[in-house]
Amino acid sequence: MTKRIFKRICQNKASLVGFVLVALFALVALFAPVLAPVQNAHNPYQLPQSSYNVTPQPPSAEHIFGTTEQQYDLYYGVVWGTRLAFKIGITVTFFAFLIGLFLGSAAAYFGGVVDEVIMRFTDVVFAVPSLVLAMVIAAMLGPDIRNMMIALTAVAWPSYARLVRGDVLSVKQRDFVTASRALGARGPRLLLKHILPNAIYPSVVVASLDIGYIVLTAASLSFLGLGAQPGTADWGQLIAMARNWVLGSGGNTFAYWYTVVIPGGVIFLFVLGWNLLGDGFRDILDPRQG
Amino acid sequence: MKYPVEIKHLHKTYQRRGAWLLGKTEEKIVLQNVTLRIGAQEIVGLVGESGCGKTTLAKVLLGLESYQSGSVQVNGLELKELSKAGFKKLRRQVQVVFQDPYSSLDPRQTMRQILCEPWDIHGLHKDKEQREKALHSLVRAVGLDPAHLDRWPHEFSGGQRQRIAIARALALEPQLLVADEPVSALDVSVQAQILNLLKDISRSRALGMLFISHDFAVARFLCDRIAVMYQGRILECAPTEQLLCNPQHPYTEALLAAVPVPDPVLQKSREPVSLKIETNRSSCPCPYAPRCRYYEAAQCARPLPQQTEGDSRFCACVRLPFQKEKSRYAV
Repeated sequence: MTKRIFKRICQNKASLVGFVLVALFALVALFAPVLAPVQNAHNPYQLPQSSYNVTPQPPSAEHIFGTTEQQYDLYYGVVWGTRLAFKIGITVTFFAFLIGLFLGSAAAYFGGVVDEVIMRFTDVVFAVPSLVLAMVIAAMLGPDIRNMMIALTAVAWPSYARLVRGDVLSVKQRDFVTASRALGARGPRLLLKHILPNAIYPSVVVASLDIGYIVLTAASLSFLGLGAQPGTADWGQLIAMARNWVLGSGGNTFAYWYTVVIPGGVIFLFVLGWNLLGDGFRDILDPRQG
Repeated sequence: MKYPVEIKHLHKTYQRRGAWLLGKTEEKIVLQNVTLRIGAQEIVGLVGESGCGKTTLAKVLLGLESYQSGSVQVNGLELKELSKAGFKKLRRQVQVVFQDPYSSLDPRQTMRQILCEPWDIHGLHKDKEQREKALHSLVRAVGLDPAHLDRWPHEFSGGQRQRIAIARALALEPQLLVADEPVSALDVSVQAQILNLLKDISRSRALGMLFISHDFAVARFLCDRIAVMYQGRILECAPTEQLLCNPQHPYTEALLAAVPVPDPVLQKSREPVSLKIETNRSSCPCPYAPRCRYYEAAQCARPLPQQTEGDSRFCACVRLPFQKEKSRYAV
């Protein structure tokens, strides 16, 4: 199975590009302490600050990506930001998946009133624009990375709940579930041993597509000041700090290009990588494509 | 005489809920006044068109579907009144084989896991060595190779998968097997193998069987008695040879006439079965009246004959004795 998936990824150029991008980011995240030695032992995500000068400095031998506002090192921010992006993306997706799995399978399995209540609640969450809802929750909980992850999880689970519900409903009808019931199996066994193992695959594909999107939303929240605190090695925070320098200084629009282009480009590549990889997964798991 | 399975005057309706909160619920009758007995080690065939309620009857007998009125007794116990523990005991008496072996086996379980599940649920053969031994004899009994125990369902052919499904049903050593069209999804050569297997097993394990089919040839090979079902009712029930050679009910006759004969000359000379439905006859007590070619308004308005205990033959037609020339059929 794993071998087959890998072979199919290599056959499709787009998904291969996605795979390479994600793999590169994963390596950066893994070797962050080697690529950018920790400056503050208490909090490795604290950006090193070489002085309190407000004006960003262009790339140099000492700061290869330059520095942003208040001399925070962009290179350190990008490297440790990668680790933070994986942390946020995977944690949020994992918990959103778990909540969706629980609620969706409960709705489908029990049906009736339970189904009605859970799915209408899901519809309500769906009806509110997710970024706005996440902003409200993050603002209520206070600006902090952990709270931001809670807010993101709270808006990400409904799509999983819907997906899992649909798949559980269809698997529930299959003969092997009835056969198991005829053997005397009851609720938990049916659900855990027969229904869920056959129903979660589509959700796994969505989860892989979602990681990039979650990181993008997290960056938006940080940009709005609702996520990571200033000085944190977070991509959204790096862009937030570049806010005053986007237009450059009188006459030279691109004077401080590196403050925006570097963190923005990194986010772009990260999200692109996950999207291409997710599309690849979707194609591979589509039974019509053999 | 006591029968292991006694179904008496069984009624079942499905309720379809109307639009949410609004709208009235619709009732659809799926089983009506069904009376059927299965003796010890007897194989009873249940034949009828698609959607006539065969599978629903099977599910009721398995305890997987409830019923509104009537009685369904297995070994003298009424299914409706069973406790949870009693229901679990029932599982060891009645087991099932489904039609499609591609959907009746969990694709994410190996053959070993599939066959061990019944024992896990009922806490049987807990000793590892003993379980392995039981597993091997079970697998051999259905003509599979114990060396393939750790293979996945997709690695087996349709016939082999159906053998696994049969082995799973036999794992609890039931007295009654409900076989819901077990060979309809298989090709003809494999059908023969599976039918032979079912016949052997029913003899060697003293198994009674409710064999659901729409194929008279298959039912003839296996069954001692055949019941013909139409729109949730049993129209005729008789020992196999009697039913096939001398059908009493017009519907049975029509079903038999619909089976093609493997002789082109003879086939061409046979009268095609009419599928025309005369809606003005729907008030008649007989469900088959709208399609019946022997319909007579005066006679068919009478109530249908009721099945009585001890009859070897039953026919739900008011025009009994139903006279016609004896004909030879293909099956």
